[in-house]
Amino acid sequence: MKRVGVFVCHCGINIASTVDVSRVVEDLHDYPGIAYIQDYKYMCSDPGQNLLKEAIKSEKLDAVVIAACSPTLHENTFRLAVQTVGMNPYNCEIANIREQCSWVHKDRTVATEKAKRIIRAVVEKALLDESLEPIKVPVVRKAVVLGGGIAGIQAALNIANSDYEVILVEKQSSIGGRMAQLSETFPTLDCSQCILTPKMVDVAQHPKIRLLTYAELADVSGFVGNFKVKIRQKARYVDWDKCTGCGLCIEKCPQKVASEFDQGLGKRKAIFTPFAQAVPNKPVIDCDNCTYFKTGKCRVCEKLCPFEAINFVETDTYIEEEVGAIVVATGYDVYPVLNMGEYGSGKIPDVVDGLTFERLLSSSGPTGGEVRRPSDGKIPKEIVFIKCVGSRDPEHHFPYCSKICCMYTTKHAMLYKHRVPDGQPYIFYMDVRAGGKGYEEFYQRAQDEDKVLFLRGKVSKLYQDDDKVVVCGIDTLSGSNVEIRADLVVLAMAIRPSKGIEELAKLLKISIDQNGFLTEAHPKLRPVESLSAGIYLAGCAQAPKDIPDTVAQATATAAMVANLFAKEYLLHDPIITGVDEELCSGCGLCVAVCPYDARKTNREKGLVEVNEVLCEACGACAAACPSGAAQQRNFTDEQLNRMVRAILTT
Amino acid sequence: MFEPKIVAFFCKWCTSAGADLAGTSRLRYEPNVTGIRVMCSSRVDPEHVLDAFRNGADGVLIGGCHPGDCHYQTGNYQTLKRVKLLKQMMTDLNINEKRLRLEWISAAEGKRFARVVDEFTAEIRQLGRIQYTPL
Amino acid sequence: MELSYYPGCTLKANAKNFETSALAILQHLDVTVKELEDWYCCGVCFSQTQDNLMQQIAPVRTLVKAKESNRRQLLALCTMCFNTLKRAIEFIKNDKEKRDTIHQFMDREDTKFYGDEVEVIDILTLIRQIGLDKLKAAIVKKAVDLKVASYYGCMLLRPQEIAIDSPDDPVIMEEIITHAGCENVYFPFRTECCGSYQIVSEPEIVRERARKIVGSAVKNGADLMVMLCPLCYYNLDEVQRDIQEEDATFQPLPVLYFTQLLALLMGLKPDLQDFRLHAIDPRPVLKRKGLL
Repeated sequence: MKRVGVFVCHCGINIASTVDVSRVVEDLHDYPGIAYIQDYKYMCSDPGQNLLKEAIKSEKLDAVVIAACSPTLHENTFRLAVQTVGMNPYNCEIANIREQCSWVHKDRTVATEKAKRIIRAVVEKALLDESLEPIKVPVVRKAVVLGGGIAGIQAALNIANSDYEVILVEKQSSIGGRMAQLSETFPTLDCSQCILTPKMVDVAQHPKIRLLTYAELADVSGFVGNFKVKIRQKARYVDWDKCTGCGLCIEKCPQKVASEFDQGLGKRKAIFTPFAQAVPNKPVIDCDNCTYFKTGKCRVCEKLCPFEAINFVETDTYIEEEVGAIVVATGYDVYPVLNMGEYGSGKIPDVVDGLTFERLLSSSGPTGGEVRRPSDGKIPKEIVFIKCVGSRDPEHHFPYCSKICCMYTTKHAMLYKHRVPDGQPYIFYMDVRAGGKGYEEFYQRAQDEDKVLFLRGKVSKLYQDDDKVVVCGIDTLSGSNVEIRADLVVLAMAIRPSKGIEELAKLLKISIDQNGFLTEAHPKLRPVESLSAGIYLAGCAQAPKDIPDTVAQATATAAMVANLFAKEYLLHDPIITGVDEELCSGCGLCVAVCPYDARKTNREKGLVEVNEVLCEACGACAAACPSGAAQQRNFTDEQLNRMVRAILTT
Repeated sequence: MFEPKIVAFFCKWCTSAGADLAGTSRLRYEPNVTGIRVMCSSRVDPEHVLDAFRNGADGVLIGGCHPGDCHYQTGNYQTLKRVKLLKQMMTDLNINEKRLRLEWISAAEGKRFARVVDEFTAEIRQLGRIQYTPL
Repeated sequence: MELSYYPGCTLKANAKNFETSALAILQHLDVTVKELEDWYCCGVCFSQTQDNLMQQIAPVRTLVKAKESNRRQLLALCTMCFNTLKRAIEFIKNDKEKRDTIHQFMDREDTKFYGDEVEVIDILTLIRQIGLDKLKAAIVKKAVDLKVASYYGCMLLRPQEIAIDSPDDPVIMEEIITHAGCENVYFPFRTECCGSYQIVSEPEIVRERARKIVGSAVKNGADLMVMLCPLCYYNLDEVQRDIQEEDATFQPLPVLYFTQLLALLMGLKPDLQDFRLHAIDPRPVLKRKGLL
């Protein structure tokens, strides 16, 4: 039998005032299994720890039980201490006789008895504890970043700058994401593309980054440090190795389609790059709209291409890679105006969403930065902005605040006023949330310098009347109904996680919250990790956020990845649940209860096999196992049963 | 007065932390419950519970995280299912199913922890010493 | 198809045209409606705005009668009755405490009502259930370029729990109008409040509303306006006469119950409707468009 030493701490008077420590020592002296027992005033102090180490050596102890405070406080302290004298840390156990005994009882006899029960139980556990070594897992030091918006770009650049390889996957043909669509950015009003495009170029030129655009994640398996990803490279119908990006094909393509990048305001061709500064700046053919794909005739691009880069028979291909970490930065979509019955269900041409207005403001946009309304190209003289459209509306749409609208709407009104000095912008708001560096000042400036009129209230309806959009709202500060005959209305629509997030989350086995955003491991203390180890979250896929917050979070994911890659091996807590092959019948009951897919039935062998790295040590499988083949290390059935009995014996 | 013997299994992440909070808050509660700290309530095998009754426990308390809050995603749901079945089995074995209780107690619910212990102790005290006759 | 029918007070008094036309078209579409043998005041929707539970006994008693009729569906033509009955079902279903109190007070009724036994249905949804193709087949008259403004009011669309269509952007009336071979006029005030009971105490509010609603329909080119609510009808028809008296430039618009128009389009005997009851005489328009 193992020689177990027990050390009862007084914790000053914290324990000793209610638990009769000397009585505990005396009564347990002859308890079978306790080879040595001693008490001390402060076990966690240096003398206390030295006493522990000395006793281990002199008494030749195999395991120790420290009866003291909660294991959350000093388990680690004592485990490190015993290690210095050659004891395996898993042979050091804590009996919590402070938080769960001395502090909650008054009667000395009763508390002393309870302390004895607690110690006896933990001694029983210690008697059967195994020496364990952390499980070592090699790490593939390469990351994949999903999404090429500002979040993905930032994460990829930072990981690559730490000298690790990165694969950046973007579903559009160019990286840049939503930020590339924006005109100017709050609160400094610097041009979005001007600050973004250098970063895009950095990505393209970085030796450690492999850029895969027009591609998406098709499959993933494995676990932290050792993922296998399969990426679908969608058919581009243009051989990018041959293409120089001269743009002749685009120029000559006869088929025009509404440009997604310009929110449908401008046109693009069927062979296209989404915008002029695209990275990579090479076109793809949109086969749904290409005349050749639709009618079998045309092939103008093929005839004209000087490099014979057009390839109409190209098909989707797949790329398989091994990576150690995954960053999900798939961004957001704008909730469609279609869903707003009271705001015309998207049927009124001069009622647009905020992102569309960005394109109207952008100097690279369809109007060259002049604010011209979609219906007739007139410059609007009165313009109404409505905030919280779909956001903060739990009854009909979404309960959450989309966070960026307060600031971008203020910016919209300001930029409009700069472009149309005799125009009048109105903003209907529920609250103005200008928390952020320089944000409140920006909001004040809009009111003071640019004479933006803020109306606190909601708009109940709007409708087309001749060439105006009549906006019926209320100003709750004056308590009066307001009717504005506007030339253009801009809706600050709620932002939604981008389309396909559910499928992606399923693929990655990470969870999404009640609003459809990806769930972080802890809302405060682990805000950039998913609940699956090795998968990190950045940007609006996790929650609505503005550019500075997105960049900060993306940088944090890169730090997490670098942290993971810094070691050659991952160390995994070894208190996992294995399989005793002699006892296992391969019934698979344990497989069904495992939340981590750590257990798999091997039908050939008629056994269950365990991936120790995936096991998080909950022990659900051990409880499900009918034969006792699944035993959680250091929480075996035998140990738990003995602990139960030790509590019950008097 | 009859002092029942109650064995408890507390999950490490929620209920055990809740018990620690009751301690740091210096709440007072009945001393009859002695806890065993497990990683997750789903580690508790029905056999451990039955073994406790067989060895003279008058009551068994299992504490886990609130639904949706389980550190292991679904562990507490497994526990819930098992406890339901186990209670049926206890009825068949002529053990009052009230002698087993499953409670969700979070790390922030020190007061609730103390209340649950007191209530359960009172209930078991009323039920009296376990009368277990092997089949 | 057979269902119970609850008329309510107005259809037997002021809204006779609504009842006769609705029953006629349903008969024409092979739907049998059986008026409840014994029915009471629906309670009127504004009883729902108060906490006094006793006022809910009226609708619940009607629902008990409907349950006893052993027919699952109960047609309520008057939208206010529809709204009241439907909301009574909601609270009976979802508020156990209120349900128990009501049950205790209803000691003379042998039948207890729990909410799921009867489905209250309005005529638009019923027409959709009968089938729009069947409706189309029953249309025999071709209206000459008739532009119809469908006015919803609020009772069929609010509150959300009982709404038959989107409260902000409904389509059901327009859908039926299209299948009946007429042209729809979209006007922004089709779901605007008519002013409701303000007609009693502050009629000028209703006059203002009527002016806005009718004016908007006229501006958008409507030949006539159709609706389903007797109170809206009153507020938009009768009140137009008052507006005309004080404003000679006001352009009136004939107002019909939705079912009146359908009955004409189905070629049902026009004399089953009494057009003298209309404050704004619709006959000139109907003649011009070939429906009379």
